[in-house]
Amino acid sequence: MTNAAAPARPALPPIVFGGIRPRARWREMWLLLIVALTLYVGSISLGATEAAAAGKSLTLSPAEDQPLAIYLGALLLAHLAQVVAGRRTDQVLLPATAMLGGISLLLMERLPQSLVSQSFGGLDLGLGQVQLLWLLLAIGLITILSIVVRSDSWLRLYKYTWAAAGIGLLVLTFIRGEDVNGARLILVIGPFSGQPIELLKVIMVVFLAGYLSEFRPLLVEQDTRVGPLRLPPLPYLAPMLVMIALALGIVVIQRDLGAALLFFVVFLMLLYVATARAAYVVLGLLLFVAGSYLMYRLFGVVQDRVDIWWDPFKDPSGNGYQIIQALHAFARGGILGTGLGAGLPLVGGQPPIPAVHTDFPFAALGEELGLVGVLAILGLYLVVIERGLRIAAAAADDFRALLAAGLALVVGVQAFIIAAGNLKLIPLTGITLPVISYGGSSILANAVVVGLLLALSDKGVEPPPPPRAGRRFARLRDAVGGRA
Amino acid sequence: MDPLILSLWLIRFAFLALLYLFLFSVVRILLRDLRVAAREPSTQLGRLVVVASPSEEPPVGSVFALDAVTTIGRDVNNSVVVEDQFVSSEHCVLTFRGRAWYVEDLGSTNGTFVNGSPVEGTAPLGFGDELQVGNARMRLERAHR
Repeated sequence: MTNAAAPARPALPPIVFGGIRPRARWREMWLLLIVALTLYVGSISLGATEAAAAGKSLTLSPAEDQPLAIYLGALLLAHLAQVVAGRRTDQVLLPATAMLGGISLLLMERLPQSLVSQSFGGLDLGLGQVQLLWLLLAIGLITILSIVVRSDSWLRLYKYTWAAAGIGLLVLTFIRGEDVNGARLILVIGPFSGQPIELLKVIMVVFLAGYLSEFRPLLVEQDTRVGPLRLPPLPYLAPMLVMIALALGIVVIQRDLGAALLFFVVFLMLLYVATARAAYVVLGLLLFVAGSYLMYRLFGVVQDRVDIWWDPFKDPSGNGYQIIQALHAFARGGILGTGLGAGLPLVGGQPPIPAVHTDFPFAALGEELGLVGVLAILGLYLVVIERGLRIAAAAADDFRALLAAGLALVVGVQAFIIAAGNLKLIPLTGITLPVISYGGSSILANAVVVGLLLALSDKGVEPPPPPRAGRRFARLRDAVGGRA
Repeated sequence: MDPLILSLWLIRFAFLALLYLFLFSVVRILLRDLRVAAREPSTQLGRLVVVASPSEEPPVGSVFALDAVTTIGRDVNNSVVVEDQFVSSEHCVLTFRGRAWYVEDLGSTNGTFVNGSPVEGTAPLGFGDELQVGNARMRLERAHR
């Protein structure tokens, strides 16, 4: 292996300019090589299958080699930028994300291109091309964030500002948003349109990391007893109630069940990471069950989703149609899959699952790559979570630890929620499969997550700023100091 | 078997195999990282980094690994000796109780400060907080891994 051959501690390379020292990244290079090889073989598989389906003779050339070549070239540039910048950032995250993005590219090239059409300056782009464009922007964003971000004070010091911006975004979506499938998801400002919820999930993690790291010593205290549960001073449970209210608000106002579930699960996980108190999780789950039941009784959307999940065959050509088609797709895929390009025959020019590129890419991959391939993809998300938690464990202070853990968990939990929804393990909620689903907001938001994780993993970042004195200490002293 | 179908199968499985080769390589790297982290003793509960020290003892930038009970003061029997005329011989004590750090002032003449506010009795100390005894300022940090 390449990195075994590298000397353990190479002599300092010469300074090129401005104090920048290039630093070789053998592990990243090796992993990116495997990514390139895998995607190339995948592309050949897709091309050969499509050629065979069209009745042509066997050709061992990739389906469309131009997009893949552009994508791999961008990855090479990103790698070189990291090498030149010489940051000691994580070397696994970029290849893992690149593999997910590449699989996305293969899938989007293979789906009917007419699912999405946009034109830029007279240039008509189909699904695969638009996705390629977003992926390129994402690679750029990851590279820029991981190299430029050298301090976290812009996140740390303005947590309430970020939270206010997030809530403002939510309110704006409510007022000016457009409805999709009964959910108010899309915000259009001028020429730009996007799903603010994707950005909101990053903002939520930043706020929670700031809040929990500030009040961690207090949340660990046990003051109040409710039956067998020992809880912290009650005023500090308020943010928990606010989070639940926010999650329920997203359900009520936007009819967006997936985002609500994601926010609440990540919140409980971060609370547990910060305090190591199971009582919080138990309490949160109880409130969650109570809240879900209330929602089920009060809102038709929730009721519909649960009913579809419980028995999709009650209305196989209407409400249950998508999920039944997804189940058929998984069944057709079996263990080894039908092969890239061989699944999902078109029904009347349309794929059987209408939202296959946004909500059901997992089902499409399940059909074409089978159980084996789908497990590998879930494995890639696990790798992202593991790296995030490792970065958190090595972080210098609580804020960074919680931020890294939260960013990794938000991506992982989102992947598992939508995968479970596709598999009919839980009621289907319309969120994207991170990095794989089509969609600019989703891909860019996840690029921000990966970029920030890379920046946080750098061992050479500026040390955490000294905390500011002030009201905070008075609060701490009142709650703990007087009694102890 | 039809060579066309056979080669299609081979390419398909090559793709899946490469996907797993990637996962295998990643897992090897992750395991190696974990082993490196496990080899380093991580019994440390935290570190105290000296941020400012006019008396030059301890020098700025020096790092103390903390035990569950760490005493700070001018007397040589303290775990962290601060040679500063405004530091009492037994100034304060840092204790790790269960999940969090606390600082207790031991009746020092000039007081102990956390982030600039005086400590009365015992106060919790989070990672990243700044502790001031006399003219010396130190920051509590998570142990390195």
